[in-house]
Amino acid sequence: MRRIPGVNAPAAGGMAVLKPFDVQKHVPDGYIFTRWVANLPWWTPFLVLMVMAIWPTLAYAQSRYSTAEAFEALWRWMPFLIKSGFFFNVLISLLAMAIGTVAGAALGLGQISLHRPVRAFAWFITQLFRNSPWLVILFIVLLAFPFEISVFGTSVRIPDWIKGVIGLSLPVMANISEVVRGAVQSVPTAQWEAAESLAFTRRQVLWQIILPQCYKRMLPPWMNWYAILTMATPLCSLLGIEELITLSRQAMESEDNHPELLVPFFGFALLLFFLYCYPIARLTIRLERKFAVKL
Amino acid sequence: MKNIINSTVSGIALAAMAAGSVSAQCTNEVWNRVMERGKVVIGVKADYKPWGFRDENGNLVGMEIDMANDVAAKMGVDVELVPVQSSNRMQFLEQGKIDMMIATMSDRADRREIVGIPGPNYYTSGTNVMAPKALGFSKWEDLSGKKVCGKQGAFYNQIVEERYGVEIVAFTGNAEAKQALRDKKCVAWVYDDSSIGSDLSSGNWDEFEMPLNSEDDNPWGLAVPLDEVNCVFGNFMSGMQYNWHRDGTLIELEAKWGIKPTAYLADKNERYGDWLE
Repeated sequence: MRRIPGVNAPAAGGMAVLKPFDVQKHVPDGYIFTRWVANLPWWTPFLVLMVMAIWPTLAYAQSRYSTAEAFEALWRWMPFLIKSGFFFNVLISLLAMAIGTVAGAALGLGQISLHRPVRAFAWFITQLFRNSPWLVILFIVLLAFPFEISVFGTSVRIPDWIKGVIGLSLPVMANISEVVRGAVQSVPTAQWEAAESLAFTRRQVLWQIILPQCYKRMLPPWMNWYAILTMATPLCSLLGIEELITLSRQAMESEDNHPELLVPFFGFALLLFFLYCYPIARLTIRLERKFAVKL
Repeated sequence: MKNIINSTVSGIALAAMAAGSVSAQCTNEVWNRVMERGKVVIGVKADYKPWGFRDENGNLVGMEIDMANDVAAKMGVDVELVPVQSSNRMQFLEQGKIDMMIATMSDRADRREIVGIPGPNYYTSGTNVMAPKALGFSKWEDLSGKKVCGKQGAFYNQIVEERYGVEIVAFTGNAEAKQALRDKKCVAWVYDDSSIGSDLSSGNWDEFEMPLNSEDDNPWGLAVPLDEVNCVFGNFMSGMQYNWHRDGTLIELEAKWGIKPTAYLADKNERYGDWLE
């Protein structure tokens, strides 16, 4: 058969070809943590627990308080720790996410405002809370906020955990603000131009044309931030809010503070958070792949 | 004109005097509020067995919780127990989040400037250390320059540091601190002597001892708002504590919660005892 270069034989000269630039490879991965969690096999925490169960028996063989007793104590405390502790962490994370999402969406739209002062203000607030340590923000909110506010003459008490919710929602707000800004700016400008040529007002363009295209691409980063937020809720224990970690400490105190209790109790907290966040991480990565902009 | 100025000045002076005399009186604001709403909010420990801790259902129990319930019963109101920590208990009382507290607090001069601590004190404890027998400490000076584990918020951390030049490594929880002692991250664990005593008698700390003489024997105080320590609230709590000493309630509770009997309570019981009995 006749060989035709470039068809059934290497092209003559073997000219260099410029392949399309792979953007994904050169952009920092915003999901680095979620991707890491999602890639863990599901049995990871059980393996950790196994190691934990064996390790202390070797390390503390000299003590009279056995690991079996420690796990038995954990078993007795489990219902309380889950019901009063972990569910409270989940509640804090849900409320903080709700507040952070609403405030962050407003701030994100502020960042793309046509008014320069609004844009500058939104940018400043976003950067301020995005780049401050979460714990510092929590402490400031807890100490600076009054514990009682008066609304129309009646004083309303703000419990500490509400302050914890507010403190956690601020960094979430700033990061969601960036998510919203990024998603809006990722919509091709041709969409804006086409909409404008059809005599849509700016508000109509934003609400009816641009934002509907954004929801899909905002969902994975939004879930990413929710998982990170949930894992940050134990920070509240440092403020004395009675969530899982605080109650674990109190439970260990009731069991006479044997050091053998530390690994089972904190390991149990790890397991709970893993079981809650792992499906979210898996789903996030799946959605992210599904919605990824294909070049 | 001069008259007007004169009368204004004297008016202000009168008003100031009136304000001065009012502030010296007892308003009994917190006490009255408690009576009005029929509920007293008492701050207690949830991490200090057997004084205040949780049972498996999450209920607060312990010697101080029994005392708190007795206070509410004698006041004739309901009780709400709020768990407090060493680091936030005085702020909670100052801010009015709690009406009073019985929270294993040592009665110190600097603390009396912030909260009202009525006498007589209901308990006392000293400072000691738990250390491995192998190290053979015999006096506090032996700890000089060494790392010693402690609990955050304990007043004696600073005293021991300054007096004996030890380096305190403070932990948020006792279990963590004791684990650090076992891991040899510190040579000793400085804490209340009564708590160390019950640890040693549990049999899980056979290679450890409490080798030093207890120091800074410090009475514990319950606290009411500072403005009301010399008013109804403070005097009522003084009466409660006096009667607990007098009728032996505290000694009974000590036995009930398995606390090592202290000479302090026996001595107070004898001193305040009813002369007719």
